[in-house]
Formats: sequence, C-alpha cells, structure tokens
Amino acid sequence: MEAVITVFLTILGIYFSLGLLFGLYFIFLGATKVDPFMTDSKKKVRLLLFPGVVATWPFLVGKLIKPKTLN
Amino acid sequence: MGLDYTLVLWNKHKKTYDKIIGFGMLLYLLVFIILTLVLNPETTAETMIIRAFGSLAVLMLHIILIIGPLSRLNPQFLPILYNRRHLGVSMFLAALVHGVFSIIQFHTLGNVNPIYAVFTSNMDYGSLTNFPFQVLGFLALLILFFMASTSHDFFLKNLSPKIWKGLHMMVYLAYALIIMHVFLGAFQQETSPFTIGIMVIGFMLITSLHLISALKESKIDGLKSEKADDGWLKVCGADEIPNDRAKIFTVGKERVAIFKYDGKLSAIHNVCKHQGGPLGEGKIVDGCITCPWHGYQYLPQNGQSPPPFTEKVVTYGLRLDEGMIYINPDGFEEGTEVEPVKC
Ligand code: HEM
Ligand code: FES
Repeated sequence: MEAVITVFLTILGIYFSLGLLFGLYFIFLGATKVDPFMTDSKKKVRLLLFPGVVATWPFLVGKLIKPKTLN
Repeated sequence: MGLDYTLVLWNKHKKTYDKIIGFGMLLYLLVFIILTLVLNPETTAETMIIRAFGSLAVLMLHIILIIGPLSRLNPQFLPILYNRRHLGVSMFLAALVHGVFSIIQFHTLGNVNPIYAVFTSNMDYGSLTNFPFQVLGFLALLILFFMASTSHDFFLKNLSPKIWKGLHMMVYLAYALIIMHVFLGAFQQETSPFTIGIMVIGFMLITSLHLISALKESKIDGLKSEKADDGWLKVCGADEIPNDRAKIFTVGKERVAIFKYDGKLSAIHNVCKHQGGPLGEGKIVDGCITCPWHGYQYLPQNGQSPPPFTEKVVTYGLRLDEGMIYINPDGFEEGTEVEPVKC
C-alpha cells in the first residue's frame, strides 16, 4: 500500500510542478498563442486562469504544439 | 462569444446572486459558531472551523446538485442555474478551508510531508470503521479543484466542450467520495447529527429529483414525430408554435428546435455552442435566436452567430404540408443556409 501511495503522490507532485512552470510561461507568454482572443485580455484575467492552467496544462501544451486549425 | 475574455461575465443580476451567496455563507458560519458555542462550549476554535466549513461545503454541494433537475422541472429556477458556477467556486473555497485546516490540525506535527501524512498516518485501508476517511476527502477536494479552476469560459473553449463536460461530470464522483468521507469519518469522530441529517435528506432529494426530471424528459422524447414515406418526420401543426418561440423535438437522436418568426419557420440543433443551453427554450430577439442561458445569438436561417462572432450550429430542412410541419432528420453542416418555410 505504501508503494502505491508513494507512486501516486509522486506523480501528483510532478504533475503539479510541471503545471506550475507551464502556468508561469502561459501567464506571461503562451496565453495568446493558445487562444488569440487572449490578446486583448487584462492581466487579472490571466491570473484568474492560472490555477486552471496548472491543473490542465497537458491539454494546453497540446494546443500549443499542434499546428493551428480553424478556430 | 466574447471577442476578448473579461474577468467574469458580470451583470447586475449576477452581482445580486453573488451577494446572496456571500451573505448566505457568512450567515451559515455565524449560526454554526453560535450554536456550537451554546451546545458544545468545549469545542476548540480549530475544530469549530473545520466542522463549520466542512458542513457548509456539503450543504452548498447539495444545493448545486439539486439546481439542475429542479430547473428542468420548473424554469423559474433557471436564473440560479446560470449562477451555479459561482456557487461551485465558492463551495470549493469552503471545502479548501476545511481541508487545509484539517491538514494543519492533524497532519503537520510529524516531520513527513503533510499530504503524505494524510495518506499514511492511518494505514487501516482494509477496515470499515477505522478507514482513513481523510484520504477520501482529499481526493474529492482534488476533483473540486479541477472543476473550480477550469470554470471560466476560456477552459470550456480551449479544453473542448467534451472534455470540459466530462471533467464537470466528475462532480458526482466527488459527491460519492464526500458521502463516504463523512460517513466513515462519523465512526471515528463525533460528527454532528445535523451534518448526517443534511447528507441523508440531501441524498434522497438529489436522487429523487434526478429520477423525476429524467422521467419527465423521457416522456417528452417518447411523444414525438411520425415518419412520412420519404423519411421526413411529421412533427406538429404550424399553429402549435407560438410566435418568436420554438418547440423542441427529438429527431433521430438529436434535439431540434423549430422556431416561428415573421410568418416563417426554421429549425436548428437545440444545443447552444456556449455551454449546451437549450436554444429552443429561448426567444427570437432582434431577429436572432437567443439562448436563454447566457444570451448567445444565432440567425434562424443559417444557425450562425451574427458577425463578428463565429459560433455555428446544425440546421435542418423543413416543409409544410396542409398546416403540418415535416422535418428532414438529416441535419446539414453547421451554419448551412436553409430557406425558411413560409407559414
Ligand atoms: C484534504 C481534504 C480533506 C481532509 C484532510 C478532511 C478532513 C476531515 C476531518 C479530519 C474531519 C473530522 C472533523 C471533526 O469532526 O473533528 C472531516 C469531517 C468532514 N468533512 Fe472533511 N476533509 C477533507 C475534504 C473534505 C471535502 C472536500 C468535503 C466536502 C466538500 C468535506 C466535508 C466534510 C464534512 C461534511 C465533515 C463532517 C463535519 C461535521 O462533523 O459536522 N471534507 N474532514
Ligand atoms: S449556454 Fe451559454 S449562452 Fe447558450
């Protein structure tokens, strides 16, 4: 059981650490690349989105890497 | 639909609802604390905070889960449904206070990482009466975090509505985990009878309301449409649809709204591109079908949001025969122009 717990919490920890890094990148640079509508948005909006970006970063990384389709 | 993202889609009503949520939460905490001081004066401040915020969070979760079926049964509740997101985020914050205080209170004494301690300070995973119920609370809180943090429209759009919906359906998993968290916890702590009461009554209320509204919807679905020779479906008389309004039908597996306006009929897919609101429960405003949930608009003849917006929904072919409306069950591509039928 302890092994399972350790693995689970380690994965969780890594997931959120990477999310934190991506979140910082996103707030300062990535936001407009993911969604062009972000260009006009205020700083506070990006701060509001920050926790969600940390939580769902793999999906947003996917959006950054994939060539832009019609939106 | 926004051309840029605002903080929150505020309007006057929303602000009123947010005030109600804020005051309601404060009032609950105040009453809880006064009652505890009167009935159970030895309770420490930490325990009081843990219990007050934990029970506040479940109470709010129950309200959130009840609003959905309630507003399907009675449209008067719809305004609360639109504000459910703010209720959800507030509920998460209450649960977060509860969780963080519990962890500080019970798991920060040793020299291991407190989160690790939540999982390992009691290893009785095989037991029912001594199960580490805190773990269930932690997992529920994790789910609630995912939901609360992605509640903004930005995520609805950028995660795709499908993933977003899936994520938010996990509220039921969180609910199950929380039920077990409270009941297994009750073996080990003196959980207040009040909390147990909320949970039992709430569970019965939530399941019965979901059942009733599902039953009601399946009746609506069962009623509809007769097949004509060419595969088109006969749905209803043109005079049964009120002006500037729609009737909703199940066509194939999809729900379709048939609108009547300016002596014309048009049919579009009933599901709003924003958050899946029921377009057929909306009205024609300024010549546009207007979603009853947050006001996204679509032109009836082509299912497109008026420029500069870019949302598009599926449109359907109609014909009129002796006052009866027939619909082609095969919808067109999203945003296809269809000549409205005169009636
Ligand atoms: C990290 C996550 C969590 C931890 C460590 C945790 C821990 C605890 C503990 C230690 C208790 C017993 C408190 C006592 O009676 O002295 C408790 C009770 C309770 N928890 Fe949690 N919890 C967590 C998450 C949640 C969540 C997400 C909810 C609901 C949204 C919740 C709802 C409750 C309720 C309703 C009680 C019973 C309160 C009462 O005695 O009236 N908990 N939790
Ligand atoms: S669901 Fe939000 S406007 Fe239609």
